[in-house]
Amino acid sequence: MSFTEMWLAAASSLRASPLRTFLTMLGIWIGVASIIIIVAMGQGGQKAVISTIASTRLQNTIQILPQEIVEPGLPQPGQVLSFQTSDLQLAQQFSGVASVSYSLYGQATVGYHSHTLNASVQAGPAYLNDLAHFTVISGHMFTSTDVLAHRQVALVSQSLAGQLFGHESPIGRVILVGGYPLQVIGETISSQFDLMSRFLGSNYLYLPSTTCRDLFPWWGISEMDVQVSPGASVGQVSQRLVTALNIHAHNAQAFEDASGLWLGLEQTVRKVSTILTLTIGSVAGIALLVGGIGVMNIMLVSVTERTQEIGIRMSLGATRRAVLLQFLTEAVMITTGGGLLGVVLGVGASASIRWFTGFPASVSWQAAGVGFLFSMVIGVACGLYPANKAARLNPIDALRYE
Amino acid sequence: MGGTQTVTGDCALIEVSHLDKVYSVGDDKVTVLQNINLTVRAGEFVSIMGPSGSGKSTLMHILGCLDVPSRGQYQLHGQAVESLTPWELAHIRNQEVGFVFQNFYLLPRMTALRNVELPMVYAGISPVDRRRRASELLHQMGLSDRFQHRPNTLSGGQKQRVAIARALANNPSVLLADEPTGALDTKTGEEIMGMFQALNQGGVTVVVITHDAKVAHYARRTVHLLDGKIVGEEDLR
Repeated sequence: MSFTEMWLAAASSLRASPLRTFLTMLGIWIGVASIIIIVAMGQGGQKAVISTIASTRLQNTIQILPQEIVEPGLPQPGQVLSFQTSDLQLAQQFSGVASVSYSLYGQATVGYHSHTLNASVQAGPAYLNDLAHFTVISGHMFTSTDVLAHRQVALVSQSLAGQLFGHESPIGRVILVGGYPLQVIGETISSQFDLMSRFLGSNYLYLPSTTCRDLFPWWGISEMDVQVSPGASVGQVSQRLVTALNIHAHNAQAFEDASGLWLGLEQTVRKVSTILTLTIGSVAGIALLVGGIGVMNIMLVSVTERTQEIGIRMSLGATRRAVLLQFLTEAVMITTGGGLLGVVLGVGASASIRWFTGFPASVSWQAAGVGFLFSMVIGVACGLYPANKAARLNPIDALRYE
Repeated sequence: MGGTQTVTGDCALIEVSHLDKVYSVGDDKVTVLQNINLTVRAGEFVSIMGPSGSGKSTLMHILGCLDVPSRGQYQLHGQAVESLTPWELAHIRNQEVGFVFQNFYLLPRMTALRNVELPMVYAGISPVDRRRRASELLHQMGLSDRFQHRPNTLSGGQKQRVAIARALANNPSVLLADEPTGALDTKTGEEIMGMFQALNQGGVTVVVITHDAKVAHYARRTVHLLDGKIVGEEDLR
């Protein structure tokens, strides 16, 4: 009996009880689909978190941060929390440094007519949109001149604009921030999937760093962004500059290059999310296993129901091998069918999640492949026992079975 | 019969000597067949007759290689059956024996044509060839308009004719019929027996097992079985 014929025969016998075949498939279907979805969510989440923390490493730019020691958030005696103006001046004069800018973060009240709202303020150089990952959707970004001139301009995030101005355009309106009037010159949206918005809200206000210093002189400068001159080695400049700043602060652990920090954080996130994906994935694996047991159960019932058919086939010359292969093919067909449907559902669901929620679920073709292969293996593993049971029947007993 | 294997001459097709069949039921041993000696020559039409419980079905199962003897020798077409492996037995059932059962034993989900093709599927014959052969056989059985019918849409006589076509599919050396008229009315039964007679005249060796003397009379030789022993034999023609 050829391979194609075996598949055709198995298909026709499965078609004889479509509901049963469908229900048996369902277990495998859901199992494979959930593995694919979980891996897609896990990998997508990992990517989202990593792209949030590992800010685009701008070319020729060094980000220097006050070093966090022991417990983040709890200042230690002697810990440096922000940069002094003299630190900036020191960096400015450093060889290999083209320009120095800085960023500040804080919370502020934003007022417009009778509205007042709390917003997260991010202030920085003219390339703040790269550091803070946002895109200007109307109006324009502030320029280096705006920064140098301490211009009282601001960009607002879409959600903040919506709450302050309703449906009207925010451009050109004057808002009050910390009591000072600022002119809105642009509206922004996050340029990547913003995990943190769920927790921090998405009311953002973006200002030139100098303007922010004028408004909130008591805010510490929390980040120094150093542009390296063309030709100078970023690594060397970074190392020497951090050392110089530490000496200036009389503290060996005052500052650090952010790239090392990001790298460590990135590794931790990768590790944690991989462990999470594997853990939840193995729960989905159990679903697949339960599906496999369902297949085995149905195949056993089928062998019992079709005992006489097996006897007739044996009387016509079916060998044990032929009977074994017949039932094995049916089992593999059920699980492979379930596996295929599972891949379709898993990929489809991952794409829908991405489409409807914006969560960057990314389908892993390895997960789809492994899920599908595993469904075939389950077919063989769970079909083998019932098929063997059928093949070992004594022809006479099988024929006379009622 | 179109392409059916005809074995001529007096060579013994079935040769059974000192055959016993014993079943163990718990600690008890039940002897179903005892010291059976039987020879069927190629081209013969033999009936094995006996009341129910005489062991005739068991004998047919052994003759058809569905079961193996407990003791004694059985040679079918020159092969000693008692020493064969399950694989070889399956091969013999496929190639040497054609079964016709009382309850037809057609596969209900398959069309008449597919049912007739089935032994050829196991023989590894190509789809085109076996379709041609199956059509030919059904045509011979007068079922030209029933190819695509499933067994539940056929009458008893038609079912049995499909079963006979199926039994002939691989040109077997012997046709074994177990109460072939048992589920049929008298008239249809006569038709079916006439068919066996015609097949035999065409050269096919036929062994019919029955409790019915009228059925046995179609054969040229009748072997009487009682309580697992051969108690007599008569040549009718």
